[in-house]
Amino acid sequence: MERGLATLIGMSIAYVASLLGMGFAYWAWRRRRREGGSEEDSET
Amino acid sequence: MANFTGLDWFWAGAFLLLMVGGAFFFYRLARRSESDFFLAGRGLPWWLPASSVFSTHTATDTPMWVTGVIYAHGLRGLWYTFFAAWTAIASFVSARVFRRSLAYTQAEWQELRFGGLGAELLRGWLAGWQVFMNMFILGWVGIAMGKVGQLAFGWPVWVGLVVPTLITAVYTLAAGYWGVVMGDFLQGIVAVFAIVLVSLVGVFAVGGPAAVSLRLVEIGEAWRLDPLAFTGWLTGNFPAAWWLTMLIIAVVGGFGMGTSIDWYVEAQRIQSARSVRDASYGLWAGGAVTLIRNSIWAAGILAFFLLVPNLTSAAEYELGWFRLGFELLPVGMIGVFFGAILAIHLSTISSHLNLGALYFTRDLFQRYLRPDADERTLVWVGRITTFVLLIGSFFYGLMMEEITQWLIFALWLMMAGIWLPNILQVVWWRFNAWGYLSSWIANLGISWLVVWVLPAFGVFPPLPEYVQFWFLMALGALVFLPATLLTRAEPMDHLVQYYVMTRPIGWWAPVRREAQRRGLLVQTEAPSPAEQRRPLIRRSWTPEQADEWTREDWIAIVLSPIVFALLMVGVTKLLLLQLAGGVLTLGAIVGALLIYWVIDPKLRAVSHEYEVKQARYLEELERRLRSEGPTRRGGSERAQGEDI
Repeated sequence: MERGLATLIGMSIAYVASLLGMGFAYWAWRRRRREGGSEEDSET
Repeated sequence: MANFTGLDWFWAGAFLLLMVGGAFFFYRLARRSESDFFLAGRGLPWWLPASSVFSTHTATDTPMWVTGVIYAHGLRGLWYTFFAAWTAIASFVSARVFRRSLAYTQAEWQELRFGGLGAELLRGWLAGWQVFMNMFILGWVGIAMGKVGQLAFGWPVWVGLVVPTLITAVYTLAAGYWGVVMGDFLQGIVAVFAIVLVSLVGVFAVGGPAAVSLRLVEIGEAWRLDPLAFTGWLTGNFPAAWWLTMLIIAVVGGFGMGTSIDWYVEAQRIQSARSVRDASYGLWAGGAVTLIRNSIWAAGILAFFLLVPNLTSAAEYELGWFRLGFELLPVGMIGVFFGAILAIHLSTISSHLNLGALYFTRDLFQRYLRPDADERTLVWVGRITTFVLLIGSFFYGLMMEEITQWLIFALWLMMAGIWLPNILQVVWWRFNAWGYLSSWIANLGISWLVVWVLPAFGVFPPLPEYVQFWFLMALGALVFLPATLLTRAEPMDHLVQYYVMTRPIGWWAPVRREAQRRGLLVQTEAPSPAEQRRPLIRRSWTPEQADEWTREDWIAIVLSPIVFALLMVGVTKLLLLQLAGGVLTLGAIVGALLIYWVIDPKLRAVSHEYEVKQARYLEELERRLRSEGPTRRGGSERAQGEDI
């Protein structure tokens, strides 16, 4: 496999994994807001 | 192929039995709570995180990589390995800030440092990245082990990838981080023993330490003994500009978090230490031993160069250290050497299995899916994730070997575009979540364009790596600085809370003033006549005084990288019996003692109150466990131990 293509595939997987994590985060943030909590009410 | 006898197999087998059997001693501790499974209950003395820092900095492919740069560059190649010196300043700056935050992971820390939606997105982004990255690293180092197995025994590559990883999984699944860190301690001892032994065997195969230097001079390769043999300021394959860039990346990067891929692993070691002081010393000692390890390797590889000169293929000369061991050690000792290779491999695999599982369990499952999960559920999710990562690593290692090459590129671009943001997030109050997030996203795209796409289309020629670094940093700044300044600062309430908890270094004056106005910090009054007579080096501190950044910290910050550099170069030259080696090593030892004398009283004061509170919390946890049996407690450790 050509090195540039291998890099592209590898980076795409990394992007997808990170975006999935970010998607989870956004979904959870929206859910908390709908439930009436403020943005700053996290325990951490 | 290695000539293995029954005695060799005995040593290798005994080592594996020790690793796996040891895990069952820690099984009970690991199942107590999420904190135990992932941080060994935050109660480790400094030497355990130190050995773990060393072990995780020593992966299966590390001997190949170090051999490659020393064989190609001589002693100047040591500077490539000097990236580990990020621990020099980090030990006294970012380790202190991070340990005080009590964050389990770097992703969690983002949410403590920043607030609102931006922080939440950052946490998710980093968690996804780290789960994936750890699985990828597992596949990558697994393949390296596969190649070693092929070299030594003629095994198919998959055997070396799958079998040792499965063995590691047994004790990582059973004992979690307890198994990882205890295994790292034993593995570290075995690895250091083998590295010293094989290097000495190599050196004496040439005729002894003095003969290595002499013969290099005789064959016209004396430049290999000079760690500062530059090929010009900007020209050749080792320009001074490249050396300076590597130095800045490593040393200044210590002010930040995440400026090296190793940070994410060592962040777990920092949090597992029982106090700020133990975290600092653990990271410092681990970094120092790592650099000494490189020095010992370097002496052996110079000998290998003399024994097998003129190798031009990197794939051939990168196996030099393994060849020294398998070809020169006597029968009976090859098993010990193979045990050491397994030790190096097992420590890396166990660390990344546990770390990947930590990011999933803490930052995805607990944070977003089941915030109310009890401790037993969290431990089991940790175990299941460990297993999934294991299977995923086989997939990457076996099915996508070529793609693992991109990891090297990914590590490089992480250094470049987000190097400065990683520092700014620690030292500058105004830097916000949107600035940091934009730097990550922009960095991935810009790096690919600058390194691959634009040169491929002839827009500009492929750039030297040091030019790439500064270019990517500048382009990234064009994105993250406007993103920061055009969006709002983090809410002051959030910043004050973070500041009071972690007391970061740098430009935090507005936040500090607000914290003082709210009565959360002791106001600094005009110094009394007695205080005006402050000694040059203060050796008696109250906790409040010790929270401030003072000249004692700066002495440690400045001296520490110098000590590391002296140590790295000095030990190699000492092993080659050069006078300069003795002088440099002595200078490093004096410097290290001076750092200890200056900073230890302060670190003790910072840590004292914390240790008392944490010990009380751990006692309470133990008492509850004894009276309630298996853990069924809900909520986070911080929620229960919030007075820590």
